[in-house]
Amino acid sequence: MTDSDTRQPAPSVTPSPKSTWPPKLDGWLDAVARRATAEGILSSILVPLVSALAALVVGGVLIAIDGVNPLSVYGAILQGVFTKSRGFSYTATVATPLVLIGVGYALAYRARVFTIGGEGQYLVGAVAGTAVVTAGGVGDLPRVVLIVVGLGAAIVAGALWGGLAGVLANRFGASIVISTLMLSFIGDSLLQWAVRDGIRDPDSYNANSRPISAAALPSFFGQKTHLGFLFALVLVPIAWWLIRRHRWGFRIDARGHNPGTLNANEFSSARVTLSVLVVAGGLAGLAGMVETTGVNVRLGQEASVGYGWDAIIVALIGRLHPLGVLVAGLGMAGLTIGFESAQRQFELPSSLVSLITAFVIIFVVWGDAIAARWKESR
Amino acid sequence: MRSVSRRFGETVALDGVDFEARPGEIHALLGANGAGKTTLMRILAGLDSPDAGTVEVFGQRIEHFEPGPIRALGVALVQQHFTLVPTLTASENLVLARPEGALLPPGRTAGARVRRLVEQFGLEVRDGVPASQLSVGERQRLEILRALDADAKILLLDEPTAVLTDVEAERLLGVARALADQGRALVVITHRLAEVEACDRVTVLREGIEAISDGAVGGYTRADLASAMIGTDTSGTITARTTRRTEAGPVCLRVRDVSLGRVSSLSLDIGEGEIVGIAGVDGNGQSELEAALSGRSAAESGEVSISGESIAAGDPRSRRAQGLAYIPSDRYSWGLIGPMDLSDNLELGRVLPIRPNRPARHKAARPSLDHWDVRTAGPHAKTSSLSGGNAQKLVLARELDEHPSAVLACYPTRGLDPEAADTVATRLVAAAEAGCAVLWIGAELDELLAVSDRIEVLYDGTLFGPYLPPFDRAAIGLAMAGDAADRARTATGGEPGPP
Amino acid sequence: MDTLFSIATVEAGIRLGLPVALAALGAIINERSGVLNLGLEGMMLSGALGGYIVNDATGSPWIGLLAGLLVGALTGGVFAGLVVTFRTSQVVTGIAFTIVAIAATTYLFQLRWDIGELPPRVERLGMWPLVALTLVCVAGVWFLFRRTTLGLTISAVGESPESADALGYNVVLIRWMATIAGGALAGLGGAVLVNGPLGLFIEEVTAGRGWVALALVVFAGWRPVPAVAGAFLFGLCDAAQLRLQGTATEVPYEVFLALPYVVTLIALVVRARRSHTPAALGDPYVRGAS
Repeated sequence: MTDSDTRQPAPSVTPSPKSTWPPKLDGWLDAVARRATAEGILSSILVPLVSALAALVVGGVLIAIDGVNPLSVYGAILQGVFTKSRGFSYTATVATPLVLIGVGYALAYRARVFTIGGEGQYLVGAVAGTAVVTAGGVGDLPRVVLIVVGLGAAIVAGALWGGLAGVLANRFGASIVISTLMLSFIGDSLLQWAVRDGIRDPDSYNANSRPISAAALPSFFGQKTHLGFLFALVLVPIAWWLIRRHRWGFRIDARGHNPGTLNANEFSSARVTLSVLVVAGGLAGLAGMVETTGVNVRLGQEASVGYGWDAIIVALIGRLHPLGVLVAGLGMAGLTIGFESAQRQFELPSSLVSLITAFVIIFVVWGDAIAARWKESR
Repeated sequence: MRSVSRRFGETVALDGVDFEARPGEIHALLGANGAGKTTLMRILAGLDSPDAGTVEVFGQRIEHFEPGPIRALGVALVQQHFTLVPTLTASENLVLARPEGALLPPGRTAGARVRRLVEQFGLEVRDGVPASQLSVGERQRLEILRALDADAKILLLDEPTAVLTDVEAERLLGVARALADQGRALVVITHRLAEVEACDRVTVLREGIEAISDGAVGGYTRADLASAMIGTDTSGTITARTTRRTEAGPVCLRVRDVSLGRVSSLSLDIGEGEIVGIAGVDGNGQSELEAALSGRSAAESGEVSISGESIAAGDPRSRRAQGLAYIPSDRYSWGLIGPMDLSDNLELGRVLPIRPNRPARHKAARPSLDHWDVRTAGPHAKTSSLSGGNAQKLVLARELDEHPSAVLACYPTRGLDPEAADTVATRLVAAAEAGCAVLWIGAELDELLAVSDRIEVLYDGTLFGPYLPPFDRAAIGLAMAGDAADRARTATGGEPGPP
Repeated sequence: MDTLFSIATVEAGIRLGLPVALAALGAIINERSGVLNLGLEGMMLSGALGGYIVNDATGSPWIGLLAGLLVGALTGGVFAGLVVTFRTSQVVTGIAFTIVAIAATTYLFQLRWDIGELPPRVERLGMWPLVALTLVCVAGVWFLFRRTTLGLTISAVGESPESADALGYNVVLIRWMATIAGGALAGLGGAVLVNGPLGLFIEEVTAGRGWVALALVVFAGWRPVPAVAGAFLFGLCDAAQLRLQGTATEVPYEVFLALPYVVTLIALVVRARRSHTPAALGDPYVRGAS
């Protein structure tokens, strides 16, 4: 027996729970979604903020135990993000998929549709998009067309992957949580096959696709940051507007609060379920293609870095609000990028940043419980 | 039980009730919904405690009302909602209730326990299948067996026949008789007259007071019992209509052969400007009728149409556009979204693709809220902050504002204080006078008598009637208790009802 | 294809299936009592690290297994305290629990052994003792639910806590016991992985096997024997895809990678209508709340 007996743990920029499997998330987001959409200052801003600070304090204690001054570590993290030449550019790049997928989760969770399938949708999106743009004979197309077609294929693939869970739920009553989890694992297998065989570059020794050169997203700021970050930035106000002003957003919130009333008076709640799953899937698929064409040159076996899992945390810490998701996504990305350089400088265990992020989510859960008690006692 | 009283907040559930159960007798406890029957039984079983009065079991006065000790005295309550573990078989449920050691008895021994009980008491129960797969009748017999397995001397059965078919109900009463003959005391809660006739003594409760106290069953006619149950008092909380339609207008809402669950092949026509009241005891198919007519569930067969247009299930916006308004029986499950504000709730069913901004929405909601007298802090208030009456007025505002051609009103006054109930009723009557067809499903007969142009009685999924003004309370009461159904069956040469 | 179904593949499949089987048994006990344990992956991982460190220190894989069992029971106790007594959301708590466990085990591991330094291999147990151990556990769980009053009570608490409470059973206590027992088995599963087939610990060594175990429980309809069968199906698929990697065959090895999940998905659809899901799964119990 050798090490290869365990499947390689996914290289991950942030802690990746190797997925999640809750058949009855209903009880969960009952609390989280209600509170998040109730837009109370306390729960929507204070709890995540205090949780993040508390987690940094705990992290500081751990750093101090390691014999390093925590303040200089945090200083180096800030420096890494804000003053180092590429810090912000890298942060924006890492935040892009987190925000794209996270907004999709946020919309679904507002409707209390508990998908955790972002990772699989991200992967099938990347595979489908890459397959289209690296297919023979498309190389002559203009770059703009190629990019649009590639992203379109990714969105459609992700949307189908997500929509499948919706159909299984509406037709057969299958738990969305389990089905999206299974579809994520299946999506990963699909990626492994695609890069090894299906869309493999025959001239390459490694298992990966042909280079997507012509379809590469333009970068701006002269840096790593690519067009995808702009998508994320544009998506946030659109999602916000949809929630506040569009009928679809209204139905999403109505389904989250009371599917029975929605069903009896306004619209089929099953169709709302399907639509949010399709949209969240499409966004995750888009994220997959954006990452492939904006950051990587080819699609490889290592494409599964766990953004789809991390985005669950981002959506929850962002309180299911698009703006919150943007802030949480940037915060998580910034912590990761900033820590990378600080870790080398101070010789800290690389897992420390994961531990700090894990404490944020624990403190958010805890803080929510405390806030709920406090509200009840009033 | 002597002069037992129990209040819940301002509601008096029981007011000085005396009650006795004697060995060897079946005592029927009769009453309409909310008369206090179940409260009385829960007190007797120790699940609730009285505010005043005393309870004695076999001469021993009960001081602390806890289920355990009272059960040990031999009192067993079989509640309306079953307390079996649905995935366990009959023998497993019995073992769970009274285990014999740390190891489960081998299948044969456990089966023998069930068989012994089944033989001893003549209550047929299948063993070896999960309780959830048993028929309701079997589940109930199993509950009774479980009580007998614990050697219950006083057996309280809360509406045991409500969920049973006629044949099963008849068998159950036979079993009750056999148990009484063994010297046990039985109390059967019911609202069906036919079942009272199978008992020895009867107590009738009406609004927490005894209308008939511990009488011999033979001393009363069905009419006596029915009038004791529903009362002769015609002064309801609802202002009665002064004029009634004698002739309905052209048919507006048409129900043809609708079947769903308990409701079988039900047909009904309602004319323009007519209020048709559906009377009946809860659980006779009202919820299925509501679901089918509102389009919340697709009927198994049949058609609901309005002005000749068929109403599709699962498409509430079309239903509304076709002119059918719906006031649900449970406004918090199917009518309103508590955490959203009043203007959002008013817009349900006609939300624009791109909505106006929030101030504009609130401004647009204001006239409607004023017109329907929804008393609130304003259109921005959360709907969950409304009192029951105002919440119902909000539903009316949404449903009636667009002058629908028909209204399905399900228990529209349920849970409201008298003033709010009267307001709601007045609004519905006004809608009818303006030409709207109103189907009013109600639980309180007084209310239906006050507003209806015609009353139909829903019993076991079938309509009996019509009853026309001036209404014969007694006849309607008898029909609600199943008398009309019994006679219809006898007349058609079908299976006779219980004697 | 000849090599695919060789004895070596089957053996590897059994070895890889054992940890998953144990964790699935643990999850069955948890879930039958109505506690949804999404922290299973984290408990497995904690047990794996505990088992590794103790084995490394004592040189005895058996003591390592015991340590894994105890660490798992401890994590189960912490989880029970949160979800049963404090009634926090089982789902959020479970996910957070796993996230923390992944980060914390990695952190502790990195504290002990610097990056780049090769962590020592520990003494490994052969296949047969572990097979025997697993069979004992399967038989135990099967016996618990089929032959004992306690097992019947656990199921009753997971199905209908109100009924169990009305019959005088202590719902909170039974759920505590079930959660601790489930955690212990998950921890044992993690320790078996490390002290058995692998002989070493690496970051996230369980690699999602806890989630697979949770999915298997659904696939198996909450019954121990099918869950173990499913675990070996998973192990075989895992071994097959490992063996097929690098060899060109007509059947892509990724099919075996995906097979357990596809089967679970199909089982989900087929079973959804007549589900054996414990009715109270995921719901905190408050007397008189329903």
